[in-house]
Amino acid sequence: MDIFESVKMAISTLAANRLRSSLTMLGIVIGNASVIALVGVGQGVQNMANRQFGSLGTNVLFVVPGSRNATEKPKTLVLKDAEAIATQVPSVKAVAPEIDRRELVTYRDKRTYTSVIGATPPYPSVRDFDVAQGRFLTDLDLKRNAEVIVIGSDLDQRLFGDRNPIGQQVWLNNLSFQVIGVMASKGSSLGTNQDDAAYIPITTMSNRIVGWTSPYGTEVTYISVSAKNKASIDSAQFQITNLLRLRHRIIGEDDFTVDSQKSMLAVVDAITVGLTLLLAAIAGISLLVGGIGIMNIMLVSVSERTHEIGLRKAIGATQQDILIQFIIEAVILSSLGGLLGTIFGAGGILLIGAVTPLQAAVAPLVIVVAVSVSGGIGLFFGVVPARRAAQLDPIVALRSA
Amino acid sequence: MSNQTSHQFPVYSHPNAASTVHEQKPVIVRLENVCKIYGFGETAVQALADVSLMVEQGEYCAIMGASGSGKSTGMNIIGCLDRPTTGHYYLDNLDVAQLGDTELARIRNLKLGFVFQQFHLLPQLSALENVMLPMVYAGVKTAERRERAVAALTRVGLENRLHNKPNQLSGGQQQRVAIARAIVNRPVLLLADEPTGALDSHTTQEVMQIFKELNASGITIVMVTHESEVARQTQRIVWFRDGQVLHSHLLPEDIAQVASL
Ligand SMILES: Nc1ncnc2c1ncn2[C@@H]1O[C@H](COP(=O)(O)OP(=O)(O)OP(=O)(O)O)[C@@H](O)[C@H]1O
Ligand SMILES: [Mg+2]
Repeated sequence: MDIFESVKMAISTLAANRLRSSLTMLGIVIGNASVIALVGVGQGVQNMANRQFGSLGTNVLFVVPGSRNATEKPKTLVLKDAEAIATQVPSVKAVAPEIDRRELVTYRDKRTYTSVIGATPPYPSVRDFDVAQGRFLTDLDLKRNAEVIVIGSDLDQRLFGDRNPIGQQVWLNNLSFQVIGVMASKGSSLGTNQDDAAYIPITTMSNRIVGWTSPYGTEVTYISVSAKNKASIDSAQFQITNLLRLRHRIIGEDDFTVDSQKSMLAVVDAITVGLTLLLAAIAGISLLVGGIGIMNIMLVSVSERTHEIGLRKAIGATQQDILIQFIIEAVILSSLGGLLGTIFGAGGILLIGAVTPLQAAVAPLVIVVAVSVSGGIGLFFGVVPARRAAQLDPIVALRSA
Repeated sequence: MSNQTSHQFPVYSHPNAASTVHEQKPVIVRLENVCKIYGFGETAVQALADVSLMVEQGEYCAIMGASGSGKSTGMNIIGCLDRPTTGHYYLDNLDVAQLGDTELARIRNLKLGFVFQQFHLLPQLSALENVMLPMVYAGVKTAERRERAVAALTRVGLENRLHNKPNQLSGGQQQRVAIARAIVNRPVLLLADEPTGALDSHTTQEVMQIFKELNASGITIVMVTHESEVARQTQRIVWFRDGQVLHSHLLPEDIAQVASL
């Protein structure tokens, strides 16, 4: 019997037993589709985490008041510390201290709370922000305690809608600020919407809005520092720590913490690796469950078909004829099921990408693994029991019906 | 029984038999001390106990005997569907035990035709496709396959039912499809295990007519039957009892005598 004949026979057998064929295929389709979709979603989550951290800026360090361990230490991080870091730490490119407060902003009849950030001119470069319209704060604004404000894109939408905000006056804490710029949209990072914000000179913030200073100087919420390059992050962290310990005359516990984006990324990496493992485990389980489904239907159909195998042998089929027929049937089912499963899985991912912010991705490797595992299971359980049945004496196979 | 010894080389009046008296014909089936035991130990059943039997070319022979006497077991061994536990079986002077799977398949395909009591047609295939199946395994070309299958079905009177599925055929028609399938590769030996067991007397007669014609055309036939009506239409009767051959050359007219024992 030639191969063409076997293929024809396999196809006609599959077509004649549509229910059985489609049930077998269903197991393969579900297994593949769920694995591909799940892993795709996992990758989407990873991408999102990476994007969020990436949006903090590149090679950024954060100097935060207070120690990681001792909470009772006074939190004293002042503007002068930032200036000292900028001038005395050689591996630092730029320094952006900031004072954050939630404030009510009013434009005509529109009032809204937003996060108001007292910032310095290097802020956009350190934090990787762009100005979309107008300009950012300048040294002159700071020197004059100018009442000027740069607004985030969301705030712009809320207050001004389609109107041009540049030159408009908004009220903040009974002061009138002139809008001088609008930031480009940045999205959210770690749960904070970075576009719902307003930036005013840090001096104005300190003198006119916060209104008091600590004995050490103007207290800041935290200081963002950008290192010269990736390689200098560690040395910058070390030098900043030394400088601040010196300035704060610290002998024991630090009253500040220097966080590098790297160390945060390490935490995130640990989390995403855990997440990936979890998803891989879920994917593995669904593949296993799909595999068991395939196995069951294959086993049932082979024992159902033992009679057929016996008859075919009784009228002259060799073991090899039977085996080839079952292999071809299993290959057809597995590849068709793999194809449909891939289409459904990829379709599901596209759908998820369209209706949620998750940028789920289709990974070719996952498709290869899923299709070959389920195909392998289909092939194994389609062929091995058939092989056993084909080795029986025809009368034994015929009787087993 | 005296019959057993007096018919060493049976001679029959056969319309197509070219030969005359006492010419030795090739032996198609030779069972030598065949035993078949099912199961092991306590539950072991001896279905065949030391059976020796010869069937020559051109014979038309019926196997009879009580239920459970080993008729089907013997037929299955003769049809190469089963193997003896001990003893030898020579088909056309070939020791079947020496043959591998591929050679056995080839013998079942080309030399043997088996008609089962339960028909055993593939339900998803039409009558024509069922009859073509042995030729698929024989490697016959598609066009010739069709031609021969139609001829075989015509021979059993089913030329108008070529495309019916088995469940669209009566029992007699299904049995005739099974016969067409058994003869389509022009076997040397046609085996039929109670081919008329499920048929009414009218269809039984039709099937017997077909067998008679097949035998007349030179095919050796061995069939198992319970019905003396059917056995009477053959030329030789082998009588089984308790897994042994009680009579190997009973004449049709002696059935009543043996059956009453
Ligand atoms: N697969 C089997 N396993 C165990 N015992 C079997 C098997 N097949 C047949 N037997 C036993 O072997 C003996 C002979 O059975 P067989 O089918 O050859 O009888 P038979 O003469 O064809 O009977 P019937 O006329 O009822 O068809 C019986 O006792 C039966 O129970
Ligand atoms: Mg029987």
